[in-house]
Amino acid sequence: MRVTLLIAWREYLENVKTKGFWIGVLLVPVIFFMIFQLSTRLATATPTRYYLLIDQTGQYAESVETAIRREHQRRVMQDFMRYLQENRSDTANLAISNEPANQMDQLLDDFGNDEVAALDDWLSNGGLAFALQMARPYLRPDTPDFEEPRQQFIAAVPPPELDITAPAETIVETLRPFLNGEKRLPVGDNNVSLFALILIPAEVNNDIVRPMTAMGGLPTDSGTRGVQYWAGNLTDTRLPNAIQTSINNAIRQQEYMDRNIDVNAVRDVQRTRLPVSRMDPSKVAGDEQVSVADTFRQWAPMGFVYLIFISLMQSVQYLLSNTIEEKSNRIIEVLLASVTPGELMMGKLLGIGATGITTIVAWLASFFAFIQLYQTIETTMIVQILDVLLGSDLIPYFVFYYVCCYTLYAGIFLAIGSLCNTLKEAQSLMMPLMMVMMVPILTMSFIAQDPNGTMARVMSWIPLFTPFTMMNRAAAQPPMIDVVGTTVLLVVSTITVLWLSGRVFRQGILRTGQPPRIVELWRMMRRRTG
Amino acid sequence: MSSTVLSLSNVSKRYGDFTAVNRINLSIPKGSVYGFLGPNGAGKTTTIRMILDIIRPDEGEIEVLGCKSAMQVRDRIGYLPEEKGLYKKMKVWAIIAYFATLKGIHRKDAKQRAFELLERYGLKDFANSTVESLSKGMGQKVQVLSSIAHNPELIILDEPFSGLDPVNQEVLEQLIKDLKDNGQTVIFSTHIMQHAERLCERLLLITQGCKVFDGTVDEARAIIPRRVILECQNDVAALADLDGVLSVCETPVSGDGRIPGTRQWELYVKEHTNPQLILQHCFQHGISLSRFDFTQTSLHDVFVHLVGQQAREHKFR
Repeated sequence: MRVTLLIAWREYLENVKTKGFWIGVLLVPVIFFMIFQLSTRLATATPTRYYLLIDQTGQYAESVETAIRREHQRRVMQDFMRYLQENRSDTANLAISNEPANQMDQLLDDFGNDEVAALDDWLSNGGLAFALQMARPYLRPDTPDFEEPRQQFIAAVPPPELDITAPAETIVETLRPFLNGEKRLPVGDNNVSLFALILIPAEVNNDIVRPMTAMGGLPTDSGTRGVQYWAGNLTDTRLPNAIQTSINNAIRQQEYMDRNIDVNAVRDVQRTRLPVSRMDPSKVAGDEQVSVADTFRQWAPMGFVYLIFISLMQSVQYLLSNTIEEKSNRIIEVLLASVTPGELMMGKLLGIGATGITTIVAWLASFFAFIQLYQTIETTMIVQILDVLLGSDLIPYFVFYYVCCYTLYAGIFLAIGSLCNTLKEAQSLMMPLMMVMMVPILTMSFIAQDPNGTMARVMSWIPLFTPFTMMNRAAAQPPMIDVVGTTVLLVVSTITVLWLSGRVFRQGILRTGQPPRIVELWRMMRRRTG
Repeated sequence: MSSTVLSLSNVSKRYGDFTAVNRINLSIPKGSVYGFLGPNGAGKTTTIRMILDIIRPDEGEIEVLGCKSAMQVRDRIGYLPEEKGLYKKMKVWAIIAYFATLKGIHRKDAKQRAFELLERYGLKDFANSTVESLSKGMGQKVQVLSSIAHNPELIILDEPFSGLDPVNQEVLEQLIKDLKDNGQTVIFSTHIMQHAERLCERLLLITQGCKVFDGTVDEARAIIPRRVILECQNDVAALADLDGVLSVCETPVSGDGRIPGTRQWELYVKEHTNPQLILQHCFQHGISLSRFDFTQTSLHDVFVHLVGQQAREHKFR
């Protein structure tokens, strides 16, 4: 045992002392942090887009402009809610609060329940100015001023050479160089590029599709119809979506009026809603309501499966490269004069296992450091979710399946390593096993959605998949037979694999030349000694 | 404690149809320096691996330091394999200390011992270098030191001199002498006969897995009769009748610049024959000698004599 621990300690130090190890370990939280930062920054970093609205009917321009203004106000409101949550003076939990205690909480609560209604209230109450005034008493004294987000879409003035009454084709031809970026539009002192052209032709109303006119199929002619949205950027759909919604709303309002239907009544009807409370029958009476943390808990096993997988991939590299280094450097012979192959194998298994655990601990530590140092409303929520998670029974599952999964695969990979003289040889041998490891990752989301379905249950009984699949199912109370049965099978398989790998390792480690064929491998497993 | 540190009786090892080691018997006394000689592929390394219990013999028994398996006494054995290798990223002192700790030495003592050895054998300045920064020869010295750092009773060195320059070969020879003076038993295999001649008390010569000689260096030399080489213009075949001369044969003249008509003769003589008698006989019979060479048989000659033909056949097979 002493020798095994010595080997394990050397293996561990050799791995954790390398720069590559720490780069690998730190890269994950750095990437995580960058994605987090980028996702919050990117929303505000989008450049201001200039659009040109030409409404030859004169009916829709106002609706479109209102819609774009409304879109901006929605962003102002969202940013303000965030500002409010981050800067309010008391530290009570706001994110998942169910009992609004004051006017500000009411606002936040409304915002959380129905954003459209909240936006209506926001606009009718006077928008940001009113909200700021209302919120001021509740903000911490050191709160910075609220910074209103930049307008993302601004209407441009048509160039002087453009005749806005000309036929649609002429307008498009005149503006094509602007849309292609060949020419720039003067706006104030600057010349800007034109992002989009919204052209509403004079005869657009002829193209309105009504259920009765649409009967028998869509229009037969393939020409451009309806409102024309011209833009080179096909991915930013906010503007075309806002236009489509607003123009259709305007048309529908007109239709209501034409049919003598009370527009306000329609609006009220549209806002009527019945909330759906999601309940969990497995929770204690009175506390069955499904919270964000509960939902997270159901999805968390997938995170653990990933963690096992990533850590295993890292360990596999170390297992193979360290074994092959010893073999190709012929250190193995000196070692084998001092230790038994069994001790050497167990030492490697433990040392590299400890390396894997160090990686996970380092990731978790940097994750905790990140949420401690970088407190925002999202990270506060993560802390609450983590509290729920750490208190749940998922952690023991994770520890158990991690250990079993690592030992099972490490045994196989060590045997492979012992048979190969170069990493290249090892890669071709480990390829089939890598494919096997990919299966639980590919099926992970299906299993999460149907954790006790046939596929999940069948895969749980295949030892190479058991740790991944059972971890994936852990939050869904799998049947007792599955839990006990697969655990017994997994433990027995792990021990058997270690025992067989030990035999292969003993014989393979002094082998030179080509890796063995299957028949030879079978013989090695059956042979007792070297 | 037994005075024999290692004994092999009828030990054989086969790989399929190939017999790597065939019924070898051997007994090595405590405190001796023992040489394993033999051509490439003779079975030296296989024998050493079996002694260390890295591989098991198919037949026969091995007793090391009074135990059936070297694994039981692994802390009392030091081993330097033929193909040398070290962990490239480790520091020189750390690797010596690591192997010593594997052999049961306490971590602190192992470190101290590593520095002691490095200082004694001229590697003190490299103690904190990584192994990959060392030259091949230096790396080999480090490996030798790591095999003796735990003060083993039995030290097995497989080809310890290969790859070392003459100066370091001398350092290693001194190291082996130091070990012997310390009462430790050293077994080493080599191709370089001069080392075996200078260091070994006893030799084992194996070829094609079989033992062809086991004894002292003097016993080895006695295998080939001593030789006198004569160069003259005459026929000296009649010297064969002289007392103490075993045979006389003419051999091709070696070297350039000889007087035309010079003939070279090889006389094999008995172990204790006085060469003066031959010289005297030539003088009395008016044989004018241009060369009289009486040399002691070298181990090299014995080696070539015993295994030369087989080694050549093996090489071209």
